[in-house]
Amino acid sequence: MVRRVIERWSRDQVLALAPDASSQKAAAGVSSPAKWSSAGVAREALWGECKGSGAKPYRACVDLQEPAYRCSCPSRKFPCKHALGLLLLWSADGVPGAEEPADWVEEWLDQRRERAAKQTAKLAEKVAAIVAEEAAGGSDASPGSGADDRRARQREERVDAGLADLERWLGDQIAHGIANARQSALADWDELSKRLVDAQAPGVAGLMTGLSRVFRHEDWPARLLSEYALAHLLAVAHRRSAELPRELRDTVRSRVGFTMPKENVLARPPVRDHWQVIGTRDEERDRLLSRRVWLHGRATGRTALILSFAPLGQPLDSSLVLGTTVDADVCFYPGSAPLRALVAARHSAADPSPMPPRGVRAASVPRLIADILTCDPWTDSWPVILSDVVLAKADTGWHLADYAHGDSAGYDGAGRNGTGQAGRDHADLDHDRADHASPGHAGHDRDCASPGHADRDRDHADLSGHDRAGRDNADHERAGSGDEEGNALPILPSVGDPWRLAAVSGGQPVTVAAEWTPDGLRLLSTWDEQGQVVVL
Amino acid sequence: MNGHTIGGAGWEQLVSAALMGSDRGAGASAAGVLEQAAVAVVGQRAGQTPVKAQPVAAAPAEVLPLAPSKAADRLARMLAGEHPRLIEEWLGLAVEHGVRVPARLIPQLLDLGARDRSIRGHLGVLAGARGRWLAELNPAWSYVLQESSGASLLGQRALAQTASGQASSGQGALSQGDSGQGASDQGVLGRRDLGEGTTDPGVHDHRLHGILDHGVWEFGSSGDRREFLERLRAVSPGDARELLAVGWEKEPPAERAAFLATFADGLSMADEPFLEAALDDRRREVRRAAADLLTRLPGSRLGRRMAERAARSLIRAGDTLTVDLPDQCDSAMERDGIRSELPAGRSGGRKSWWLQQLVAHTPLDFWTRHFGLPPEEITRLKIADFGREILMGWTRAAILQHDAAWARALFDQEPLTDLLAVLPAEEQSERAAELVRAKSVNGQLIMMLGGVAGPWSGPLAAAVLERVVEVAASQPWNAGELAKLAAERLDPAMHDQLGHLPENLHVLPSTLRFRFDLTKEFS
Repeated sequence: MVRRVIERWSRDQVLALAPDASSQKAAAGVSSPAKWSSAGVAREALWGECKGSGAKPYRACVDLQEPAYRCSCPSRKFPCKHALGLLLLWSADGVPGAEEPADWVEEWLDQRRERAAKQTAKLAEKVAAIVAEEAAGGSDASPGSGADDRRARQREERVDAGLADLERWLGDQIAHGIANARQSALADWDELSKRLVDAQAPGVAGLMTGLSRVFRHEDWPARLLSEYALAHLLAVAHRRSAELPRELRDTVRSRVGFTMPKENVLARPPVRDHWQVIGTRDEERDRLLSRRVWLHGRATGRTALILSFAPLGQPLDSSLVLGTTVDADVCFYPGSAPLRALVAARHSAADPSPMPPRGVRAASVPRLIADILTCDPWTDSWPVILSDVVLAKADTGWHLADYAHGDSAGYDGAGRNGTGQAGRDHADLDHDRADHASPGHAGHDRDCASPGHADRDRDHADLSGHDRAGRDNADHERAGSGDEEGNALPILPSVGDPWRLAAVSGGQPVTVAAEWTPDGLRLLSTWDEQGQVVVL
Repeated sequence: MNGHTIGGAGWEQLVSAALMGSDRGAGASAAGVLEQAAVAVVGQRAGQTPVKAQPVAAAPAEVLPLAPSKAADRLARMLAGEHPRLIEEWLGLAVEHGVRVPARLIPQLLDLGARDRSIRGHLGVLAGARGRWLAELNPAWSYVLQESSGASLLGQRALAQTASGQASSGQGALSQGDSGQGASDQGVLGRRDLGEGTTDPGVHDHRLHGILDHGVWEFGSSGDRREFLERLRAVSPGDARELLAVGWEKEPPAERAAFLATFADGLSMADEPFLEAALDDRRREVRRAAADLLTRLPGSRLGRRMAERAARSLIRAGDTLTVDLPDQCDSAMERDGIRSELPAGRSGGRKSWWLQQLVAHTPLDFWTRHFGLPPEEITRLKIADFGREILMGWTRAAILQHDAAWARALFDQEPLTDLLAVLPAEEQSERAAELVRAKSVNGQLIMMLGGVAGPWSGPLAAAVLERVVEVAASQPWNAGELAKLAAERLDPAMHDQLGHLPENLHVLPSTLRFRFDLTKEFS
């Protein structure tokens, strides 16, 4: 029998699954071999019995393929410390291999498979219905029962009224002046955001609750005006949405707070690729946990954001493990700059092979962002992967700069004897440039509905990766052509010094995954000499 | 490229219109201001351009190999909160094995070292070139630059890389393992040769020539220089002293005391003149270090002066000692290392304090000769007054002078763990075991055992295990504390030989197993 061996995850990868810091600590506490009995790993399952405070040990098991977790402990955290502890033990090579999973594990796996099959069938049914209907030329508003229709209409009216209210309110603020905002605005925003929640426009309501951040900065009046202006733009765009192209209208609706049902998203054309998890970040706001997982398609070069939510203490989706790659179909939510997506189907188990993704040059990022903003002016975060960047400093703080390949000063190659990644990526990009150095790739002359990847990729999914790499490189050439031009992007100052990146890179060029924000890059991950992903 | 420093007078006008209220100006309407502002903001975000920034200089190449990945993973776990008290053991083992820590863990370790001085010496080696490079970038970690990088542990090739880049020539004495061979006390270099500078080409001894060429002594960090001197001292005490003497006056005062500490190895009368001169140093730490060393040389001038004072202060009549307290602490006494002022927190008279120091700094040989008795009889003599001070003085002297006979005799009087450290390892274990068997398990015993360095094995390990099981039920708290200490000190190879232990002692097998695995992962 050929036994497939699942490659072990790193400790960082396991800890990234923990719902919070205290869980990480608790998990470490139950990760010693002494705590576990009859632990084993077979096929894609990992299991063990952990001695708890009671007489009966807790039975924990993990389906490594998904991954999914189960434990007999009463903890409401998910995954619980036992599942995580078991994973940690496994990651330290502390779990012996077995021929077959234990019976109770097998039972659970069967249940899961059964349930998954049922769910898939149900969803597929819904998806098929939607696809059929769209093929028949159905309209945007999905016809449902009369009650559904009425509710939908009612919501539209409420949102219309809420945003009209917002537009008026913003106008009033500017008419009267925002000089006293520090004194009075907090209460106003709170009130306004409640009204917007009542108006069923949670997206805009969220914008209002986040406004207090502007006061952390000296130049808060300018920042506040910016935020007000963008909110106003959204309200106006919503009012005039009938005049907008469809993709932009979708973007406005999602920013306002309309969510598209899962099945509708899954009915959209999938993009199949080897998707690598390049970063994850959890946030808690108003007792709601959100997890962002960014994916990067190896062939398409596209990035996708998988967003999941859970009330505090409830499980967050932890099926995507940092650094792993999975062959999967991904469906994007509609919009003028599509990013948010769902994993529709997996064609392989998560592959943890260490390898940095292929990214772009730092100098090409502003152009990429300009393209995105042209399509979705409200974008304030966009994932980017930078290849061959070095840590740099300017008066304003830390930066990531393109590594100058011709310049051998200070670079003896000694630090990178591991992968030779820098050279390889560069060669790849050169190759792409040769194939695609056609003119007309400048970003701005494209029409807004297809920001360089969305619609076109649906038809030419296999080509777009090359296409983008070529464009990025052309941009790089433009940006790097004069000595006066810079090649560095600032790192978001508010998150502190990037010491871990400094330590891992040692000033040598590395691959970095980051979130572009208007104030600078928020670092997500990098890859070390061995190609292992490191959380930043 | 701050996202909100939007250029142009237009933006400034928009902001001030928004601040003051568009109603008050003659300009655009509120909606107009908002619309223009939106265009400006998006335009600015879309129009950001790459800036110029200076790449940080690349870190130098590493010399040490990386710690095995399993060992590194374990360190990561400990840094994340698992058995944090064992981090020091891990670091010590890593230094022993000559490996460095993976780069991603360096920031956490350097943060730890910023709070905990005890691990800084290890970090100087383990953080490697990357750690030093980071310390240049972050002032909070600059302490690591003062630590030895362990360069001289690595043999000659490594030395050459760490030093000023000069090509090495000749055979390095340090990597040859020929310590002892050159340990004659005759400096191979006359002062004449060294007078011109330490890299004088006239240096003729090929071993020393090789060492000096590496530049560690001239250009290394203070930690590197200290270690260099230690190594040289081990090979050739005379050369080490001569080398130090050349630049002695110019050495920073803080360094001088640390350099003197290297004299403990291979101390002989040949060092006496140098040390006697150091008693006049401007810095108190240097004077005290010199005085402490000289008490170990009974023939030294300081030793003789102390003996004279001691003879005046302690008079034997039969089996009783009477004390004649010193009247004053004159400048000669102070020069010999006796502090006139009471240390903070010490009560009692100043004269008895002088007496205690006087006894502590008198060569122990003097007493046996003076009284014509072996240590175990001297320590049993009746002392009319100030017995406490005398015993404390002898104890300090036994520790300072590493005198096992005296330590044994004094330990019988009062079992202080500091005295155990002077005894050979096996005897330490036996004596501590006797105590563990004889005394009740309480805070005092645990504290005493805390002073006995690990790894515990043999009789001590057996005694501790026996007692801890014995009191597990009756004194759960003390048993728990003792188990915790034992878990950190017992030889980890014992992890599977503990037999059946009560529930509340599970810390023992699990911690020992953890330490066992920790040790194993390095080999």
